[in-house]
Amino acid sequence: MTTALTRPPLVRSTDRVIAGVCSGLAAHLGWPVKSVRIGMALATLAGGAGLAFYAWLWIMVPTADENARRNARRPASPIAPAVSLAPATAPASHLPGQAPAAPGWGLPDAGAAAPAGADSSGAAVPPAPGYGTGARPPWFKGGGVRYGKEIMLGAGLLLVAGIMIAQILGVDVPLGTLIPAAAVLGGAAIAWMQLDENRRAGLLDKTKADQAGGWGRLAAGLALVVAGVLVMVSGSGSWEQTWLALLASVAVLGGVVLVLLPWALKFWRDLESERAGRIRETERAEIAAHLHDSVLQTLALIQRRAANEHDVVRLARAQERELRGWLFQDPGKEAGQLSDRIKAAAAEVEDALGNAVDVVSVGDTAMTEAHEALVQASREAMLNASRHGGGTVSVYLEVADGGADVFVKDRGPGFDLSDVPEDRMGVRESIIGRMKRHGGTASIASTPDGTEVRLGLPARRPENAARHTDNAEGKS
Amino acid sequence: MNQLQGTGPVRQAQSVRVVIVDDHAIFRSGLKADLDASIQVVGEGATVEQAIAVIARERPDVVLLDVHLPGGLGGGGREVIAGSAAILGTTRFLALSVSDAAEDVVAVIRAGARGYVTKTISGAEITDAVFRVAGGDAVFSPRLAGFVLDAFGTAPADIADDELDKLSARELEVMRLIARGYSYKEVAKELFISIKTVETHVSAVLRKLQLSSRHELTKWAAERRLL
Repeated sequence: MTTALTRPPLVRSTDRVIAGVCSGLAAHLGWPVKSVRIGMALATLAGGAGLAFYAWLWIMVPTADENARRNARRPASPIAPAVSLAPATAPASHLPGQAPAAPGWGLPDAGAAAPAGADSSGAAVPPAPGYGTGARPPWFKGGGVRYGKEIMLGAGLLLVAGIMIAQILGVDVPLGTLIPAAAVLGGAAIAWMQLDENRRAGLLDKTKADQAGGWGRLAAGLALVVAGVLVMVSGSGSWEQTWLALLASVAVLGGVVLVLLPWALKFWRDLESERAGRIRETERAEIAAHLHDSVLQTLALIQRRAANEHDVVRLARAQERELRGWLFQDPGKEAGQLSDRIKAAAAEVEDALGNAVDVVSVGDTAMTEAHEALVQASREAMLNASRHGGGTVSVYLEVADGGADVFVKDRGPGFDLSDVPEDRMGVRESIIGRMKRHGGTASIASTPDGTEVRLGLPARRPENAARHTDNAEGKS
Repeated sequence: MNQLQGTGPVRQAQSVRVVIVDDHAIFRSGLKADLDASIQVVGEGATVEQAIAVIARERPDVVLLDVHLPGGLGGGGREVIAGSAAILGTTRFLALSVSDAAEDVVAVIRAGARGYVTKTISGAEITDAVFRVAGGDAVFSPRLAGFVLDAFGTAPADIADDELDKLSARELEVMRLIARGYSYKEVAKELFISIKTVETHVSAVLRKLQLSSRHELTKWAAERRLL
């Protein structure tokens, strides 16, 4: 394993021409990609050796994704997957430039607290306390066996090459015996490897694709063994006898299968139920880890801040938001759309000022530059509403064919736009000016019962898109 | 918290008899303490069976019903309403939930609840909601209004009012304002109509939500796991 640690692991790269073998190899060896590719092409000219080597690597070397998945399979801190799976929810918990009222009293920063699964290469990183005992890292156990397989295969190929060279040189090799024997040995080896994999499957997680490959290997091994035995047997007698013997063996084998089938089925079912139990256990561990990392931490914080009602409410809201995001996140939904961004902005304002910001959204759309301006203007409106309104801020986002509308309502004492000093950029520039520049509208309705900021962005027309690109965003 | 939009004065002279159904004892006692003195809590239930029994015995005016409950066939609040079908005319159900999942909310509304509020609501707001439901009105939070708009679409019906699968232009306006955080009173003021008319529109929307056979509604709720 030491060599694997000093240089990048051998994986098939995503920067690929055919299967990413060459670039992966180049990264592993530290050679330029171009020379590896040229070398491979040249080797192909030499009797197809390059082609064989390429195919072999293609089969044996996992892709970067597969490798990462294998390594990340242990239940690391669940926030790490949550963060990496849904970048849109992440900004809610740690936003730049948002100093909490009491420094150090924000929620535990998800990104920093959780060791990202992919980074923790090797067993050097201890699993976080309280969980992670359920599954041991697969590469930790399986490493020796995997490399052993590769060495065996390589040795076999070398042996074959040696025999071929010997024959070319004129040495008499009893091929008639050797080939069937090799076939039997190889088939048995492949089938046994499969058995070994199966046993490991009892301990480790396995995907469906692995399973299909396993069946393929088992079938290949069986075919090799049968063919080898057939050739060996047929060498000593006539074909007629061989067929008879084959028929008899098949009959016996059929009988044995019939007898053993119930037992095998039971064994299989046990295995399946054990696997299901293991998956459940992993899920449970993940949930427990999540609760440990987020909810328990927040509860501890709340207990220590019990005297400060404002902090307690803020912590509880932030935790509620995070937990909802984790529980109810719709995996099919595309992240980073307008409603996500508005919700993230609301969360940011809520964290910064402590007043609840309730978002109701209807419909959704992908972000454009104009939508970005809409989000920024909405954020500004929410900040104003939370700062001056005092209580809960209601935000309503509606996306329809006609465009996107955002309403931000508070229940503060209200204000008159003409009373706002000219030099105050907040409302005039960041909300009204920004919306106008992007072809949208903004109006403010203020009564003594509250203020509502209404932002509208009509559905984009292509010719508007280019005209309204301005770079005045930095001002706010 | 300002999620419940019934801040108008709808107090009745007589007190309202209420049964609280929730599987968390802490929440039940907290809610009881929060409720106004004019609300009389006559019974409590923690499971589907208990709830059905206590509701049948007490025949309360309003049942505060948690969406998720143990027991029964696993149907939760929906099953309690179904089990109390005989008295659905006199006893009204107000759904309470920590869940924002549309499928839960829509399921319990379609079963016959007169409204839905989240559990983070304040004592004054829930008191108000109880009186409103007891008076036969529907209680729509901004979130529920958002669900409705999402499920029925934001385009008005061509033929107003009679169509169950679409909202009329007026109902859409009311739903939009509620989703924007307006109270019934504010909606009335904004649209130059009376509060009673607003309540009529809201009840009509509730009826459509309960009766619409549009299969998209259920499909929509199932797909939309969260808002």
